[in-house]
Amino acid sequence: MRTITIANRAGATYVVEADRPLLDTLSELGVDLPYGCRYGGCITCAAKVTAGQVDQEEQVALNNRQIANGYAVLCVARPLTDCILEVGVDSHDTLYRNPFLDPLAPHELKADIAAPKEM
Amino acid sequence: MSAAMEMDSHCCGPGYASPAEAIKAPREKLLYTVALYTGTGIQKPDYLATLDADPDSPTYSQVIHRLEMPGIGDELHHTGWNACSSCHDDASMSRQYLLLPGVRSSNIHVVDTATDPRAPRLHKVIDGDEIKEKTNLSGPHTVHCLGSEIIISFLGDARGEAPGGYLHLDKDFEIVGRWENSMGEIPFGYDFWYQPRHNVMISSEWAAPNTFMPGFDLEDVGHLKYGRRLHVWDFDKRVPVQTMYLGEDGLLPLEVKFHHDPDSTHGFCCAALSSNIIHFWQGDDGFWEWEKVVDVENELHPEWPIPLPGVMSALLVSMDDRFLYVNNWLHGDMRQYDITDPHHPRLTGQVWMGGLLGKAPEVNGVGIAGGPQMFQLSLDGRRLYVTTSLFSTWDNQFYPDIRTKGGVMVMIDCDPENGGMEINEDFMVDFGTEPNGPSRCHETRYPGGDCTSDIWL
Repeated sequence: MRTITIANRAGATYVVEADRPLLDTLSELGVDLPYGCRYGGCITCAAKVTAGQVDQEEQVALNNRQIANGYAVLCVARPLTDCILEVGVDSHDTLYRNPFLDPLAPHELKADIAAPKEM
Repeated sequence: MSAAMEMDSHCCGPGYASPAEAIKAPREKLLYTVALYTGTGIQKPDYLATLDADPDSPTYSQVIHRLEMPGIGDELHHTGWNACSSCHDDASMSRQYLLLPGVRSSNIHVVDTATDPRAPRLHKVIDGDEIKEKTNLSGPHTVHCLGSEIIISFLGDARGEAPGGYLHLDKDFEIVGRWENSMGEIPFGYDFWYQPRHNVMISSEWAAPNTFMPGFDLEDVGHLKYGRRLHVWDFDKRVPVQTMYLGEDGLLPLEVKFHHDPDSTHGFCCAALSSNIIHFWQGDDGFWEWEKVVDVENELHPEWPIPLPGVMSALLVSMDDRFLYVNNWLHGDMRQYDITDPHHPRLTGQVWMGGLLGKAPEVNGVGIAGGPQMFQLSLDGRRLYVTTSLFSTWDNQFYPDIRTKGGVMVMIDCDPENGGMEINEDFMVDFGTEPNGPSRCHETRYPGGDCTSDIWL
C-alpha cells in the first residue's frame, strides 16, 4: 500500500494499492478527478508528481519535457513509492506550451522520436 | 411543429429533393451546438446546447436547453444525423436522431431531437468499450448516414494507434462491424465525404489519437506523425483506390467537402498547418487531380521564434456551391471565397474575431479567447454561425485564457449575391457565462439539415 497526498486538495491523504492505476484507486476513495481515454493516450488526467515515483510505462501521451516537469497520467500511473500529487487543471501550469513560442529540444520529444540528450 | 418536421412532411423522407430545394427551406430557428467541460477543470459532463436563433423570440441568442451526457471526459466534437437527403425517397426514415461521438471516450451518444426539438433527449449510448471490443476502433470523428445506415470515421485502433477505420451502424444504432473492406496503405484517418453518383469517397488525414489528443507538438510533423495525403475510395467496393500526396502544401489536411451538386466531382480540403485550400476533381482519364488554390502566409509574431500559421482547420461550401468559407484559427480571421471557378477562388469577404495576432480581441463587447474554428451556414447562405474552440488540449496550448473565458458563438451576416461578410451586432452566445462555469462550444447543426449534413444520391 502507498500513501498519496494531494497537495492542492488541502493536503488530503489516501492509502491506495500499489499495483493499480491511481485514477482508479483515488476515484474509488471519492477523489473527483478528470479523465478521458483511460488508457494513457490523451493527457486529460495528467497530474504533477512533486514527490515520490510512479510507474507509467504504458503512457503514450507525454513528451519528455512534460515528464521532466513531473507530469504523470493517472489513468495508467501506479505508485512505486508514497507520493505527493497536484491534480487537475490547477496543476497544468507547465503541461501545455505554444510550440511556435517555445519549441522542444530534440531530447524533449516523445520517447519514440526523441534524440539522446547532448551532454 | 419544427421547420424540419414541416419539410419532412411535404415529401416522403427526410431532407430535400435537391440543393436548390434546400436553399428555399424556412429559416433555422434552433441550433444544436456541443459544449465541453472536458479539459476545462470543471468536473461536469459535456452537453448538447439548444440555442434560440429566432430573432423574434424573447430568448434569441441564448442557450435555452442543455442535455448533459451521462459521464465526464467524452470530448464531444463533431456530430451527424441518422438520416439526410440521401433518404429523401424513403418514407420510413426521418431525421430524428443526432449522433454525438466522444473523441476521448469513444462513446457514441444517440440523441432524439424530434420528440421535442427544443429539449433533445438521450435515446441510446453505444459504449466506447463495446466499440473497441467488437471493431478495434477508437477516436471517432465524422458521422455520415448512407442511405438508411451510418458510418463514422475513427482515427485509431483500440489503443489509439493509427490508422483506425470506419464503424458501420445499422439504422437501429446496432454495431454492424467495420465498414471498409481495406484501409490499403492509408496511414491516418480524419474526415470524409462521398459523392454517390461518382461512386467516390474522399478521406483526409489528421494523426493517431495518441499523437493529437495530448496536444500539438510541432516537432511531430517533421517525424511524419501528422498526415499530408488525401485518399480516393471506390465507395461500393469500400476500398481506397488512389492517393493524392499533397506534401508540404497539404500538412494536416482536415475537412473535406464536395460540391453539393451531386453531379459535380469538384471538392475542397483545408490543410490546417500549411493553411492552404486544396481543390480536387476527377480528370477526364478517371484519375483524381488536385491543386493548391489558396495559400495563407504564416505571420511573424514579434516575440515568437517560429512564424505563426493560420491553422485553417475547417471549411464549408454554401448550398448553391458558389462560396467557400474557411477559418484561420490562430490568425483569427474567417474568409469567404467565390468559387464560381473552382480553379481560381476569389476572396470576397473577411472578418476578424479573436486570434493570436491581436486584431479583434473583443467582438460585440465580449473578450474572445480562441479564434474562428467551427462554423455552420444557413441553407440560404446568409447567416454563418462561428464558434471558437478547436480541441480541449489544443485550446489549452494556444489560448490558455479560454479556461476562464470559455467559448463564444458569433453570427456573421453573409451576402450571397455580391459576396461580403460582416459580424452581426445583435447575436452573441457567450459560453463563458454558462451556469456550471465556462464551457467551450464546437460544431453546430440545425434540426432541418444544414450545409455540412446532407448528401444527394
